[in-house]
Amino acid sequence: MSARLAQRLQAEVCVIGSGAGGAPVAAELAEGGVRVALLEEGAWHDPDHFTARSPEMLARLYREGGQTFTLGRPPIMLPLGRGIGGTTLINSGTCFRTPAHVLARWQREYGIEVSEDSLRPCFERVEEAISVDTVTPELAGGNAAVVRRGAERLRWSYGYLRRNARGCVGSGVCTLGCPTSAKQHTGITYIPRAQRAGAQILTGAQAKRVLIERGRAAGVLARLEGGATLEVRAPTVVVAAGTINTPLLLKRSGLAGRSGQLGRNLSLHPATAVFARMDEIVDMARGVPQSLYIDHFAEQGIMLEGSAGPPAYAALALPLTGARHAEAMRAFRQLAVFGLMVSDSSRGSVAALGSRPLIRYDMNAADLQRFRDGLVRMRELFSAAGAREIYLPLPAGVDPEMARRRDLKLMAFHPLGTARAHARPDQGVVDGSLAVHGLRGLYIADGSVLPSSLGVNPQLTIMALATRLALSLLEGDGSV
Amino acid sequence: MLAKGPDAASLERFIAAAPLGQQAAMRALLALARRPRGAALLSLLSPLDQLPSGLLAMARYDDPDISRPLGWDAAAVIARGRRLRRAEGRP
Repeated sequence: MSARLAQRLQAEVCVIGSGAGGAPVAAELAEGGVRVALLEEGAWHDPDHFTARSPEMLARLYREGGQTFTLGRPPIMLPLGRGIGGTTLINSGTCFRTPAHVLARWQREYGIEVSEDSLRPCFERVEEAISVDTVTPELAGGNAAVVRRGAERLRWSYGYLRRNARGCVGSGVCTLGCPTSAKQHTGITYIPRAQRAGAQILTGAQAKRVLIERGRAAGVLARLEGGATLEVRAPTVVVAAGTINTPLLLKRSGLAGRSGQLGRNLSLHPATAVFARMDEIVDMARGVPQSLYIDHFAEQGIMLEGSAGPPAYAALALPLTGARHAEAMRAFRQLAVFGLMVSDSSRGSVAALGSRPLIRYDMNAADLQRFRDGLVRMRELFSAAGAREIYLPLPAGVDPEMARRRDLKLMAFHPLGTARAHARPDQGVVDGSLAVHGLRGLYIADGSVLPSSLGVNPQLTIMALATRLALSLLEGDGSV
Repeated sequence: MLAKGPDAASLERFIAAAPLGQQAAMRALLALARRPRGAALLSLLSPLDQLPSGLLAMARYDDPDISRPLGWDAAAVIARGRRLRRAEGRP
């Protein structure tokens, strides 16, 4: 996207990362007249090269081919995007504003000045920028119809999700790269805006170290593809490398460690999926994969959300083996699936193992119980919907009520908290304005600053906080 | 078997995208999962230990000859997406 030969660049703000945090900051600042350089480790992925083929697109669009795991009980698969757009390139596009009770908790327990009223203008600004709209029942497809039927029969609270999509035709492969560019990820919304406003966007540029001089940010050292080193000189640095990589970058830089919180407090929203065989044709791959939610149990930390995909996805996720797996897959067109996500109170950590992240996460008893309860609810849901057979993600013979940690087949998509915000420098890495405690000109704007689970998908929260940061820097509250 | 099938290359690219240490372990587990007795052994282990079997299944059902009769045609989805993208002038 931009010249790779530069060895030294001068900017007013250097932004690291082009996902939900970095891209809004870069666009808002550039449009405000600030000279911005944005470093993105991955590449620009041309939609012309998307194939909707699972192994190929996982290898190309995901960090470590989507094969990042946590270590602990149980191990959890943690797929993350890599490239312009970050994880917004490969997520399902679901948009929730931060729940009011979460904001209240952040104010109460972490001393962060955030309220619905104060964030509302930022949410509105982001929602317009990424075209947030509610999925229609027609576009949601047959899988959502099955689940809706079950929820209505049980009188559970449900709704169609809001997503950042425009002109979506329900291709069913949000997580493999949207072939219509209907999903308005940051790579086709904020990044072009930033470029048009003069920001320099450098792909293949891996930030290695944040430079600090006399207690103030001075720039970033990055390694370019091919091995050359790039130095971006900038008095303001915004780190948005994501919850897993931001703490590693800061640790490499010898920064932000004073509170002892850097790399800790990792929450994940662990999730799983339940399949069911219906009598009707469902065709789960037709329509928006994540289009419906059931929030009836949200107060217990259990959120049910859509999850679907093509046969290759189902074949990977279906909790069966051998002949039973083959038999279920023969009936793929009759398969329905829905996801279960837990607002976790367990906490993990991220440390460096050589150049790689070592992610530790052990599930606590409370979250295990949430999964047990959630799986029981999922079984009720599909039974009420008229399922002929229900496939719980548990070993044969294990009832949900008796499931152990090691019985769970989990994935997670929302790592948060490893550079948490807290008003007190001894308790958090950044303050409520996302400034790193004790350093001038250094900010963090990604999921790592969120001090607790949200219970809902976090991209809109991250974008709104990033927008608030950019606007405050433009207003002169920062130092741009 | 998948190892000789049309999707062996895409599965290999997928594995090659994993961290180095993990690649070796995954290849060994995949070799086990390809054998009936190995697959039976893996099915007795924890869900994550069954991942190799899941990956083989993912690659198998990614094959257009297998997925098309199940109502999924990736090439058609992509062609429609490109057509719409161009018609509407999207990036």
